[in-house]
Amino acid sequence: MKKLILFSIISLLFSCNDNKKVNDDSSIVEDSGKYKNLYGFWVGEFVADVYKEGSTISNNKLNIAIKSIIGKKVIAQSIVAGNKRPLTGEIDTANNRLTFILSEPGDDKYDGKFEFELIDNTLTGTWTAYDQSLTVTKRTFKLERKEFVYNAEVMLPENQYLDQYSGQDSTITDTIDNETETYVEKYYRAASESVYEINSSTHKFTEEELKNLKKLDLEILRNTIFARHGYTFKKRAYRQFFDYVDWYVPVTDNVDTELTTIEKDNIKLLVRFEKYAADNYDTFGR
Amino acid sequence: MLKKFDYLSIAWLLFFSFFFLLMLQITLRYIPFSAEASFLQIKQTEVDTLGPYLSIFYIHVYSAICCLIPGFTQFNSFILSKYKKLHKYMGYVYVLTVVFLAAPSGIYIGYYANGGWLAQLSFMLLGTLWLLFTIQAMTALKNRHIKLHREFMLRSFALAFSAITLRLWKVILVYLFHPAPMDVYQIIAWLGWIPNLLVIEYLIRKKYKS
Repeated sequence: MKKLILFSIISLLFSCNDNKKVNDDSSIVEDSGKYKNLYGFWVGEFVADVYKEGSTISNNKLNIAIKSIIGKKVIAQSIVAGNKRPLTGEIDTANNRLTFILSEPGDDKYDGKFEFELIDNTLTGTWTAYDQSLTVTKRTFKLERKEFVYNAEVMLPENQYLDQYSGQDSTITDTIDNETETYVEKYYRAASESVYEINSSTHKFTEEELKNLKKLDLEILRNTIFARHGYTFKKRAYRQFFDYVDWYVPVTDNVDTELTTIEKDNIKLLVRFEKYAADNYDTFGR
Repeated sequence: MLKKFDYLSIAWLLFFSFFFLLMLQITLRYIPFSAEASFLQIKQTEVDTLGPYLSIFYIHVYSAICCLIPGFTQFNSFILSKYKKLHKYMGYVYVLTVVFLAAPSGIYIGYYANGGWLAQLSFMLLGTLWLLFTIQAMTALKNRHIKLHREFMLRSFALAFSAITLRLWKVILVYLFHPAPMDVYQIIAWLGWIPNLLVIEYLIRKKYKS
């Protein structure tokens, strides 16, 4: 009853002369508002469950963005690993449970079907690929509600960042107790502290500041800008650094219009330095 | 004894030719002229804020490669005895290029070098010594002091050769230790030419003794 009065007052303010419309509006608002608490981003790890043996798999960060639930019809989006796909389907309330079956359109190689249930504020369920010849055909997930707001101040947590996809064998000969031993060790690119110490979104870089950074540092600094804007990374070489960061929510596959002037300038400079590092760091030259 | 020397000079020629070609390849990156070519990619601050930087940088790039050619001709005993004129003209080209183009431009860009004051000091010192040794070699020649001329030209060329040794040390250090770019730069700034001078000084003294 309270709600109805509130709606009447609001609509009176805007359209005093049409009382009939008040009832129509309120009925629609109430219908779509029933699951409004479910609207928004649901985020968690997208864990490979059924996959081809021996293949390299990665558990990416999945975001299911619920846009609207009208009647039983659900409109949503799945955002994972650089792929943003529309989702449509239905919500089922039978047996006092809240279950969803949502489908991706099927015109993308990696499309599939999501089936999940709301249990204790968590969306728990599975995804099954349409194409059963894919490397990963089934994934599981537990998603929690996440807010996303762009914040230029957020930083990567303090950590030792290694590029786990850069493994290079290097043969090491060591003498222990007068015995010479030769073994192969994997060498990984390591990032410096700069990746969590300098902010690439609020501080305009000078060349001098970037000169002593390695290519991996430059790449991470540049991609932290995109991560702050909620960009979903296509390359797992970049996902590996951000998927585990609490503030990182993949929400979009295009941030071009969102970037600030400082960020655009920094990206330009970082790209230039990345190219120089790639061409020159370990070659005969300066 | 003579045979051993021949092997040495053939080895030197092969070694030198290989690295000369690499240097030529690096120089060719600056053709056509561009304000953002190769190394200049990380020097845009200097390019934008210092009027003469770009011109002086290019003077250095184009002239310095010419200073390596004497490595083929000027110390070769065969050419020295049979083609004295070639030695003379090549020598003039070397001296004029070093004294008026490569060394002064090297000192200028050395002042704006990457790697902080330690690297800047090294490159400016290198340029100054290169200039001085070359002039001293010519003064010795004017006084008809051939032995001294040869010694100072060896020192001068040892410094010119740092163009190659500096880059060679970089490859070795990066391969072994994967240091940050400017950390390695500060090291090679010195490692590029000091050992060269020590080696040539050793060779000069050894020759003097025997």
